[in-house]
Amino acid sequence: MISRLRYTLREMWASLSRNLTLTVAAVITSMVSLFLFGITLLIQQAFDNQLSQWTGGVQMVVYVNHDAQPEAVATIKEALESRPELIKNVEYCAVDCSLAQAKKLFAADPESLKFLSEENVPSYFAVEPVDKNQIQQLLSIRDSFTKLPGVYKVAFPSDQIAVLGKLKSFFGVRTYVMSGVLLFASILLIWNTIRTAMFARRREIEVMKLVGATNWFIRLPFMLEGLLQGLAGAVFGSALLLLGNADWTSGVRKFPTNAGLGGFVVTDGYPIKVVFFMVLLGAFVGAVGSATAASRFLDV
Amino acid sequence: MIRLENVTKTYSTEVVALRDASFDVAKAEFVFLVGPSGSGKSTLLRLMNREERPEKGSVWVAGRNINEMSDSKVPHLRRNIGNIFQDYKLLPNRTVHENVAFALEVIGRPKHVIRQQVPAVLDLVGLAGKQERFPHQLSGGEQQRVSIARAFVNRPLILLADEPTGNLDPATGEGIMRLLDRINKTGTTVVMATHDQRIVNMMRKRVIQLDRGIIVRDQARGVYE
Repeated sequence: MISRLRYTLREMWASLSRNLTLTVAAVITSMVSLFLFGITLLIQQAFDNQLSQWTGGVQMVVYVNHDAQPEAVATIKEALESRPELIKNVEYCAVDCSLAQAKKLFAADPESLKFLSEENVPSYFAVEPVDKNQIQQLLSIRDSFTKLPGVYKVAFPSDQIAVLGKLKSFFGVRTYVMSGVLLFASILLIWNTIRTAMFARRREIEVMKLVGATNWFIRLPFMLEGLLQGLAGAVFGSALLLLGNADWTSGVRKFPTNAGLGGFVVTDGYPIKVVFFMVLLGAFVGAVGSATAASRFLDV
Repeated sequence: MIRLENVTKTYSTEVVALRDASFDVAKAEFVFLVGPSGSGKSTLLRLMNREERPEKGSVWVAGRNINEMSDSKVPHLRRNIGNIFQDYKLLPNRTVHENVAFALEVIGRPKHVIRQQVPAVLDLVGLAGKQERFPHQLSGGEQQRVSIARAFVNRPLILLADEPTGNLDPATGEGIMRLLDRINKTGTTVVMATHDQRIVNMMRKRVIQLDRGIIVRDQARGVYE
C-alpha cells in the first residue's frame, strides 16, 4: 500500500514537472475562472447587502403633517397596523425623535444643521413591510397611505431598489456566464494537459499494461495531477479573491458612512464560505478534466 | 498450460490473420511459432496475452478461458505471462535495475521483495554488474537480456517472445536462446515466434508452422522448413 502510494505521488510529481508549461497554463486558467466565479458570488452578496440596507430598517417612511392632530396620528397608526398581511412593523418617531435623527444625519454638515428645528422637521412612521423584495406591492401600499388625512408624504426608495435589482441581475448573469465559460476552458485545458502527459509516457503505459498493472493504478497519478492543478488554481484564485476583497473593503470604508456604500462590503465570514466552495469547485474541475482524459487515452 | 480451440481472428473482411487454429501447449514446454511475415504468429501471441480477442473459438490459459474473462481480470492474467519483444521496449530514462524493478513496482510488490528479486534475476541473465547503466549504454544483446529479466522477474508461468533474436547477430542470438532455454528448464512455458531458421534448427524444440493464418505443421523436435 505504502509502496503504491509512494509510486503514485512520485509519478504525479514527475509528470507535473515534465509538463511544466501546460501545467502552469492550466493552473492560471483555473485560477482566473474560479476567481471570477468567487467574485460573482461576492458581488451578488454585496448587492443583497445593499438591497437589504435599503429595504431593511426603514423601508418606507410615512411623514405626518405639522398641523396634524393627535387623533389624525392615531388614525394613521391604526390604518398602518390594520394591514398585517402587508406591514410587519410600524414605529412612530415624534418630532423630538425625528430632530435627533436629522442631527445625526447632518453631523458632517454644520451649515444644514443650523437650519434644523422642531418647526421644519416632521414626525414620521417607519414602516417595515412583510416582503421587502416585492417592489410593486410596496408601491401599492405607498399609494394607499398617501391619501390618508394628516399624511404629508410617503417616501419609498423604489427607484434606488429597482436600479440595484437591475444591476444585480445584469452583473449576475454576465459574470456567471463568463465564469462558466472559463471553468469549461479549465476542464478542457486540464484534459489536454493529461492527454499530453499520457502521450509522453505512452511507452511506460504500454509496459505497465503488459506486466499486469491495473487500469486504476495507471490512471491514478494522472488523475491526481489534474486534481492538483484544479486545486492549485482554486488556492491561488482564493488568495486573489481575499486580497481583492480586503482592498475593496478598506477602500469603501474611506467613504463617509452616509454615502450609502456600506452594504457593498462583504464580511461576516461569507468570503471564507466562498473560498471553501471555490476549492471544492477547483477539485471538481481538476477531477473531471483528468478523469475523462485518463480514461479516454489509456489505450495510447 | 495453453489451449486454442478452433480460433479464427480477422482484422477486416479481407484480412484473416488466423483461421480455425487449434493446439495445446503443455506446462514447461518450449514451442516455436514459425512462418513468413503476416502468417499469424504475432496474432497468436497477442491472443494468448488477451491483447486481441478471436471472432471464433476460445483461448485457454492456465485453465481459464481468457476470452470470457472480464477486462478487470486481464491485469492479473498478465502477471502470469512475461512478454519479450524484438525492439526490447525498455524505458530509456530508467537504469537496468529500474527497468526490471518497474515491472514489480507497478503491480504493487513491496520494496523488500523488489530489493531481493531484481538483483537475483539480473544475475540470472548475466547483467549483475550493469544494473546502474541506462539502455543506451548497453549492446543489443544486453538490452534483450534486460527485457528478459523484466519479463521473468515476477516468475511468470508463461513467456511469450516475439522475434527476440530478430535484431541481434547470430552469436548474441544464440546467447539469448541459451538463456531462454535455461528459463524454460525452471518450469516456465515458452512460446516464441521467430524467422530465425538457424536457431530453430539448433534448439530442436516443438515447431508450429503457420501459413496465411492456417497451421500447416505441428512437429515435436522440429526444424525450420
